[in-house]
Amino acid sequence: MAKMGIMSFAHMHAYSYAACLNELPEAEFVAVWDDDAGRGAAAASQFGTTFIADLEEFLGSGIDGVIVTSENVKHRAMVERAAAAGKWILCEKPLATTPADCQAMIKACADAKVGLGTAFPCRYIQSLLAVKQQIDNGDFGAIYAASCTNNGQFPGGWFAQMDLAGGGATMDHTVHVADVLRWMLGKEFTKVYCENGHLLGRDTDLDDAGCLQMEMEGGVIISHIASWNRAKSFPTWGDVTLELIGEKGVVYIDSFNQKLNVYNDDAMKTEWAFWGDNPDLGLVADFVAAVDEKREPSVTGVDGMRALEVTVAAYKAAAEGRTAAVQRAAC
Amino acid sequence: MNLAIIGCGGMGGNHAQFATNCGLNLVACGDSHKKKAQALAKRFGAEATDDCMALCRRDDVDIVGIMTPTPTHSAYVIAAAEAGKHIFCEKPFGRTVDECLAAEAAVKKAGVRLFVGHVVRYFHEFEAIRAQIEAGKAGNVGFVKAYRGGIFPQGEDMWFRDYEQSGGVTFDSSIHDYDWIRYVFGDVERVFCQALQRDDAIDYALVTLRMKSGVIAHVIGTWAHPAGFRVKVEVCGDNGMITYDNAEAPISSMMRQVEGGQPTMIVPANPVETSPYQLEWVDFLAALEGKGEPKVTPEDATWAVRIASAALESAKSGEPVTL
Repeated sequence: MAKMGIMSFAHMHAYSYAACLNELPEAEFVAVWDDDAGRGAAAASQFGTTFIADLEEFLGSGIDGVIVTSENVKHRAMVERAAAAGKWILCEKPLATTPADCQAMIKACADAKVGLGTAFPCRYIQSLLAVKQQIDNGDFGAIYAASCTNNGQFPGGWFAQMDLAGGGATMDHTVHVADVLRWMLGKEFTKVYCENGHLLGRDTDLDDAGCLQMEMEGGVIISHIASWNRAKSFPTWGDVTLELIGEKGVVYIDSFNQKLNVYNDDAMKTEWAFWGDNPDLGLVADFVAAVDEKREPSVTGVDGMRALEVTVAAYKAAAEGRTAAVQRAAC
Repeated sequence: MNLAIIGCGGMGGNHAQFATNCGLNLVACGDSHKKKAQALAKRFGAEATDDCMALCRRDDVDIVGIMTPTPTHSAYVIAAAEAGKHIFCEKPFGRTVDECLAAEAAVKKAGVRLFVGHVVRYFHEFEAIRAQIEAGKAGNVGFVKAYRGGIFPQGEDMWFRDYEQSGGVTFDSSIHDYDWIRYVFGDVERVFCQALQRDDAIDYALVTLRMKSGVIAHVIGTWAHPAGFRVKVEVCGDNGMITYDNAEAPISSMMRQVEGGQPTMIVPANPVETSPYQLEWVDFLAALEGKGEPKVTPEDATWAVRIASAALESAKSGEPVTL
């Protein structure tokens, strides 16, 4: 039985991962630590576990693995502390906000001989798994092009602050799809163009709309919308969509389009109730198994860094008004 | 008034119907393939010729409709203008900006009217989107996405496959969206484009427009699909969103295949009382009668070609093009 802890409930995904830990029979959710004691204690109480205010005490409490779900810029320090204490780590995306931070985190985990995973639950979405299988089988032949989206509602809170988030919508909504494409096509990104800005009046100084154009090895052309463009009245939080243009056919995947339309007079807006499998459960189950088997999580820290490098190139391109090469840091 | 149509393929036949619906008298049909001209002429009781330049100059013709492949447009426009004819030209206006400017100048000099068929401005759904935007339903708009396309078009002699001639989906099809986006959101500052343009008739264009207003527009054009025709629009602002998808339509029908053959009929999925193509003619003819300006000016049509040309230039250079 893997003993698991969560470091910080700053990111809303922590609540889903906590529920997954409680759902998985192979995991024991033993403790929560948070630099916001009130938030951590409330979450611990919600999920029937213990809040430990002191970080050293938390790391010394017999846990085997931690999920780090803090604000983006705090990932590195928390991962380094956990690695030094010999814990297996699953870190929320983006892995960090700079490639240098990613490199340091990967090195710290390698030096401590602990596993480091990046929380990319899209790899566990059944529709994406099914299409990846078809691509691997050669059913679509070579993939020539893709147009993708990771649209979302404005998350607010620390996501709106540069000093905690490290960037706006482009930072928040590029890495999932960048990782999915690397995974599905088995290619690296080579260059990026990006138009972005604060265009949608969201309550932040950061970019709330991003439109990326990317190229992968072999000349695959891709566009991606990384945006907080979904209205508050939109029926759901957002989407992950990909249209792939292949030699033998095309495929469009609307990953979360397993939904009911719900018309409820209290809400006074249409809501979509998702009924598909929970991808977070696959992500957390893999991490728990990695902890148990003392192996790397399936989606690694390097995967997290490679996706972040696309984001960094996007901001560079947007600032310079031309394409930016994707710089792949050593690892 | 008497009409002559040059280019008797699909669009020629289409416009012959809608123009005559508006009371025009189709007197002559021209096509370099005389059989096509004869087939269309027979339907409307007109004369047929393969000498299209001569047709531009016929005394009994008041309006020349130009529905030929794009690179031939400007020569016919100039010839018709010099002969004092009014002109209805299909989009794209020309294959290059210089062709457009030469045609514009000829029209101005001759004092005739030129209309270029940017039909999307007349589509009910696009007018409805524009009305919702103008009513403030999305608030201040910051992002627009337009998606258009399906199967690679056939065209006469498969001319669309020659990317030098047609410009591919980047130029020929997405120009609808460049024009509509400029119509609604104003002028374009810069253009970035990646395009496939494969020799095996698979084309896909990813275009980013940055408008002078700051608005970002993403235009996706596909001639990469094995079948179908899809149009999607998304408009996002600071107080809402407007989305449109032509897959959501009032009629869904499936016809049973007849033994060993194709389905016997195609039921339109989304009928409207007056076709947007007919509304183009109504608008153009009203302008000829002195009743105001049509929604599309020659300058608009040149701007659409300028944006589309910039997209092709960007696809070639790999870097954005500032207009």
